[in-house]
Amino acid sequence: MNPSPRDKASTADIRTRIKRVIVESLMLEGLTPEEIGDDQALFGEGLGLDSVDALELVLGLESEFGIKVKSEQLDREAFSNVNALAGFVERHLELAGSMRAARK
Amino acid sequence: MAANARSGPRIWVTGLGAVTPFGWGMEAFARGLYEGRTAIRPLSLFSTDGHRTRIAGEVPAGLEDALAHLPPKQRARLSRTDGFALAAAREAAASAELELSEHGRPSVGLFVGSSTGGMLEGERFFGDLRTAGNRRLAASRIASQQHSGPADAIARALGIGGPVVTFSSACSAAGMAIEAALRSLRSGETEVALAGGADSLCELTYAGFNSLRAVDEQPCRPFQTGRKGLSLGEGSGVLVLETETHARGRGARALAELAGAGSSCDAHHMTAPDPLGEGLVLAIEKALTDAGVDLEDIDVINAHGTATPLNDVAEWKALERVFGARLARIAIQPTKSNVGHLLGACGAVEAVAALLALTQGSLPPTPTVDAVDPECPANLVIGAARALSYPATVLSVNLAFGGANVALVFRSDKPESS
Amino acid sequence: MNGDVVITGLGTLGPHGVGTPALADGLSQGRPLFVPMDLAQGFHRSGSARLAGRVDPSGLKPWLDPLKVRRFSAPSKMAVVAARLALEDAGIERAELAGRDVAVSLGTAFGPNEITVKLLDQARETGPESASPFFFMESVANAHAGQIALDSQLRGANATIVQREASALLAVAQGLTYLESERCELALVGCVEEIAPVTHAMLDRFRALSAGDSELGRTFDADRDGFVASDGATVLVLEHEERARARGAPIRGKILAAIRANDPSATASNWGDGHAHLAAALRRGLRRSGIERERIDRIVSGANGSRQGDRVEGLHLREVFGAELPPILAPKATTGEYGGGFLAAAVLALDNLDFGPTPGFERVDPELGIRPHDGRRLPDARCLLVSSLAAGGAAAWLLLGRA
Repeated sequence: MNPSPRDKASTADIRTRIKRVIVESLMLEGLTPEEIGDDQALFGEGLGLDSVDALELVLGLESEFGIKVKSEQLDREAFSNVNALAGFVERHLELAGSMRAARK
Repeated sequence: MAANARSGPRIWVTGLGAVTPFGWGMEAFARGLYEGRTAIRPLSLFSTDGHRTRIAGEVPAGLEDALAHLPPKQRARLSRTDGFALAAAREAAASAELELSEHGRPSVGLFVGSSTGGMLEGERFFGDLRTAGNRRLAASRIASQQHSGPADAIARALGIGGPVVTFSSACSAAGMAIEAALRSLRSGETEVALAGGADSLCELTYAGFNSLRAVDEQPCRPFQTGRKGLSLGEGSGVLVLETETHARGRGARALAELAGAGSSCDAHHMTAPDPLGEGLVLAIEKALTDAGVDLEDIDVINAHGTATPLNDVAEWKALERVFGARLARIAIQPTKSNVGHLLGACGAVEAVAALLALTQGSLPPTPTVDAVDPECPANLVIGAARALSYPATVLSVNLAFGGANVALVFRSDKPESS
Repeated sequence: MNGDVVITGLGTLGPHGVGTPALADGLSQGRPLFVPMDLAQGFHRSGSARLAGRVDPSGLKPWLDPLKVRRFSAPSKMAVVAARLALEDAGIERAELAGRDVAVSLGTAFGPNEITVKLLDQARETGPESASPFFFMESVANAHAGQIALDSQLRGANATIVQREASALLAVAQGLTYLESERCELALVGCVEEIAPVTHAMLDRFRALSAGDSELGRTFDADRDGFVASDGATVLVLEHEERARARGAPIRGKILAAIRANDPSATASNWGDGHAHLAAALRRGLRRSGIERERIDRIVSGANGSRQGDRVEGLHLREVFGAELPPILAPKATTGEYGGGFLAAAVLALDNLDFGPTPGFERVDPELGIRPHDGRRLPDARCLLVSSLAAGGAAAWLLLGRA
């Protein structure tokens, strides 16, 4: 029985993985994941990402963490920085976990 | 009376043709519009499994009949989009009673918009290529993939000898094609020009707009409070345009006048419109100047109205900048609520809708689901058709992916029976 | 025309490299630069053509900020660089143009095929829900013209024209109409092309490409067997002569006329046999522009080595000029078809670049009786006819003159 992604993920690990997804899925050439601060603004100022980047990022996160993000849940707050994104991903992992539990 | 009336030859619309989700031909389109219906419904052209939405404005069966008159080998090389384009062009030419027997007159031109051309066939071919490997695959299946396919198909079928140009500026393609025809006619390069657009549904576009989360699960609701996004559609619209001199010379009747056009670019973002609407403002101002009409002359605006939460507001801001308080009194006709977003064909099909209003003497009712959004309080025609008073002038606008905007001005002194 | 339109800037990149000198060098030596195509992606038939003119997008890095262009397809990168080079050549600071009514009119024959393939593969392999917004944005043919406008904040009309081999000249003609009618200040016009493996394979399946022991576009040659396709981008800066002179702009030449027509005998994927009709259309266009045939002292022909294409090109020129054919340059033998090398070569011909011998030409086709330029020194040209006939039937000509 495979451990769920939630079981495997540690807090620090989630942030690192998120940063990797940001760099790779958004093709931020020349930027390393380590260079992205946990509370650095991602949109507008800061990293300067836009709405299409957000959509592309969602795809990357869905793929990396095995979660599903509904359109209604795409709000600026959740994507404001890596910390916020970590919370966003954790909530989705919990949701997936509790849905699995409910089905057992 | 326009303060800055322009000089130069007047350009008439003398014929119309359309293939829309309401059916093949102008009659089906007019009926659907004036009955206040939407043709956006569950999609059958391909599977919607894995997509976020299940609906589209799909053209009903009729492609085979439309192409039946062609030899089989030629038919095999035509894409669905080509078929739409051909049918609409033939209907337009017939309705204008255009004699194209003088094979290949250089004074007869063709300007077409298409954003994906034969992509539907192309993606199927591509899928087969991937699964079948290096097999002999029919060249005819690749032939139909070109953006320039619809224009080439019409040019060949109707014997067009003058300029043939395909525009691929996404949602503004057909509008820009119509503008190009206007310039060509005014310059004397052509005396007659067919202008329009064609596009078919395809999985690439369906997936793409879904990936941008720009699509509504319900039929789109332009300018309404609950709107969630666009509905994709397919079809073709074609106008026959000619100089007044040429039309009078052969006793053709004018349905309306194409008075002017203008285009611009937002240069703001590749997919999001400028929230201040400055690009559209520029296109509209150019079109009004080009047409020699004043703001007060505009009675109807056929809006782009894609029904995404952002686009409708951005468009509204632009219209407000141009028309100010008067905007509340101008009727708004959002044709996408009936047929969806026809991409490269929308500018032409929407021009046809505007011209139908001018010829019928009334605006069809818009099917609505929600109340009008106070952020973009469009004066929609709700319930019953609304009579137009003459002379009547319609502004038709489109805004595209990539920021290209186009505005067209049509006018008429009196309704014509179609 | 309210006053003449002049060419004040040229930016080009292609298989010979980035910038005008690299192309000029290749043309003056008659030296094509074609390289092997990737045939292993599953698109090509066995025995297919193998070569194409390629641009390595990583070679564009010096001109582009990687963070700004991270979402760009290769053709968008090429288009933006060509536009920047053109503006630089015209002595225009991009920052001056921000927010102004500058039109963009760009031609492309096939659009961004590489990205489209990626998008289709993605949708097939991982489902349509995984379609990348980046890919989709850049999979539309008008993305490149849009990126040029975005790069310099250009607010004028933004047109993308897709009409096969005539796309470049039709884009120039369309740019002219914007300058004339919309009273815009400047127009950036040109074309861009990316010959992705899928595009190359498609052209090959149509037997449009030269294949066999030596792949060359043997323009007007009796034994020609097709063309070689090329990547690239070319952008010209067009402006009203009055404005150009007022700012002391470098003027490369004038556009005297743009003429357009169609050969309705052509099928969607080939050239037709309507040379008589095309000749009549060209003559009509010359009459309307007040240019006498005798004034034309150089032809820059769009012949590319296609059996049918070169035939209708040669025959229609014969019909118009009879025995008095001026010297004919056939740059596509060196630049390949598509990619804008031809348009750039036309402007260089206007500059009286000494073209080298036409590569691949060995034997006159008796039906055409045309010998493309053999490399000898020619007297300066004052009035050039540039000719582009497309598969599918579209035709476009430009008349260029010295300023």
